[in-house]
Amino acid sequence: MGQHNDSAMIEVRDLAKNYGDFKALRGVSFELRRGEILGLLGPNGAGKSTTMKILTGYLSASSGSVTVDGLDLFADSRAVRERIGYLPESTPIYGEMLVQDYLMYVAQMRGFRGSEARDRIAAVTKRVGIDHRLGSEVGALSKGLRQRVGLAQALLHDPRILILDEPTSGLDPNQIVEIRDLIRSLGEERSVILSTHILPEVRQTCDRLVIIHRGEVVADGTPEALEAEMAADHALLVGVTGSRDDANSIVDALRTLPGVDDASLAHASTEPFEHLLLEVSAREDVRRALFRWAAEGERELVELRRKRMDLEGIFQSLTQT
Amino acid sequence: MRGVITIARRELGVIFDSPIAYIASIVFLVGTGLLFFFGVRGNEDFFAAREATLRPLFEHAPWVLAVILPAVTMRLVAEERKSGTLELLVTLPVDDWEIVVGKLLGAVGFLVVALAMTLVFPLIVASVGSPDLGAAAGGYLGLFLLGMAFIALGLMTSTWTENQIVAFILGLLLCVFFWTATDALIKLAFEQPPAALQLLDFRTHFGAFAKGVVDLRDVLYFLSVTAVAVAASTHALKSRHWR
Repeated sequence: MGQHNDSAMIEVRDLAKNYGDFKALRGVSFELRRGEILGLLGPNGAGKSTTMKILTGYLSASSGSVTVDGLDLFADSRAVRERIGYLPESTPIYGEMLVQDYLMYVAQMRGFRGSEARDRIAAVTKRVGIDHRLGSEVGALSKGLRQRVGLAQALLHDPRILILDEPTSGLDPNQIVEIRDLIRSLGEERSVILSTHILPEVRQTCDRLVIIHRGEVVADGTPEALEAEMAADHALLVGVTGSRDDANSIVDALRTLPGVDDASLAHASTEPFEHLLLEVSAREDVRRALFRWAAEGERELVELRRKRMDLEGIFQSLTQT
Repeated sequence: MRGVITIARRELGVIFDSPIAYIASIVFLVGTGLLFFFGVRGNEDFFAAREATLRPLFEHAPWVLAVILPAVTMRLVAEERKSGTLELLVTLPVDDWEIVVGKLLGAVGFLVVALAMTLVFPLIVASVGSPDLGAAAGGYLGLFLLGMAFIALGLMTSTWTENQIVAFILGLLLCVFFWTATDALIKLAFEQPPAALQLLDFRTHFGAFAKGVVDLRDVLYFLSVTAVAVAASTHALKSRHWR
């Protein structure tokens, strides 16, 4: 079925999930490539968590296929779970246990015994920076430290794939930066899928992102590529000298330029000199035509920039209906 | 199998870390003790009867177990469901049945400790007379098997809900039902109860143990009840896949 992609750690094809009549996922396809950090982005309830719960074997899919490291997720669930480290949303770990006891419990559940288990615990707790809190009760830790314990348990078996559901939600700004840096560095040796609805996080953490809305993938690409794609309708912001009284005639003139679809006044200013800011949408690149038009009309062009859609804009335009 | 042992050990630790275990142990020891020495009616008074027998212990202990064991098992799965830790547990590379059996064995560990504490009663009886030790051993085996079936029923109700109180009440009802109500219901429904229905009653199977008669069929009966409840619990854990 389809071409096998060597660089894909996870291949999701036409994944659908129904909860009764509610279609949580309606044919989601994407892949996680080797060594990348993939952001699963979408408003609350879009289907991010459902997707992750299926990938980690917690839920079954209604239809579709998932291949993890060459294994069929649904036929080989246990072998897949051996290869994945998972941190569910809101870090559900036993609060009454000591950090070291909890990690020993997970290590044993993953089949490590004695000195090997202790060595692994020592290594991961050092890696995530909680080696000084081994004797603390999990429930007594701050949210940031608790999150590190959650990451530690996901790393114990040194998985090649990490799946992190909302890893920074509920953290304060400093903790967010710390956990983000940690995920970034963990992602150097692993393939990571993380979900979030916080946009700045995506740009700073993820190599690529998949935007999910109402159970469907509405965008898939690097943040830069998505921004470029969304800017491809050649929207421009044009600043020319002139007073507010000139606005109508300027707008009319711009609309007659070849290639221009529409023009409108965005802003009029008298500081530091009288000028107008106009939005121009065009079907081709009209920047040179605009320059000539300004020069011929003896108006000075004081601003000319492409109106780029940033991630917030992309997110909003894709997920507001 | 590694999962079973690891989970059983954790559960036993959690049970004895919480006040529930100590309250349940004390209720069990004091409850069975009072019932053993003073009986429900005057004529069962151990001192008045002047008989070195453990029969009253095996008569009353099942009632106390039917109350305290659901209190111990109520949190086994319901708590994990409520706090979300169940999701991490079932996504570890262990099968759902291993989780259920591990939790069962953890609670069985508590049962063994609780039963061991009541060995003080045979010791007291032995100090004043010479009780039938064979009957005592049979009775303890019966209590163990009966208790394990109660634990399995309580564990099953704990997989049905995230509310521990609901799990406790359902578990209590099921244990009491199997211990006593099947008999009453059967007698209510039939003038001449069919033998097959009589076989459903816990009391029928437990009775022989208390007399020191270990019948393989009775052993298998309690093991079957346990197995069915374990299967139902596993089914309840797996039901997340098709809901």
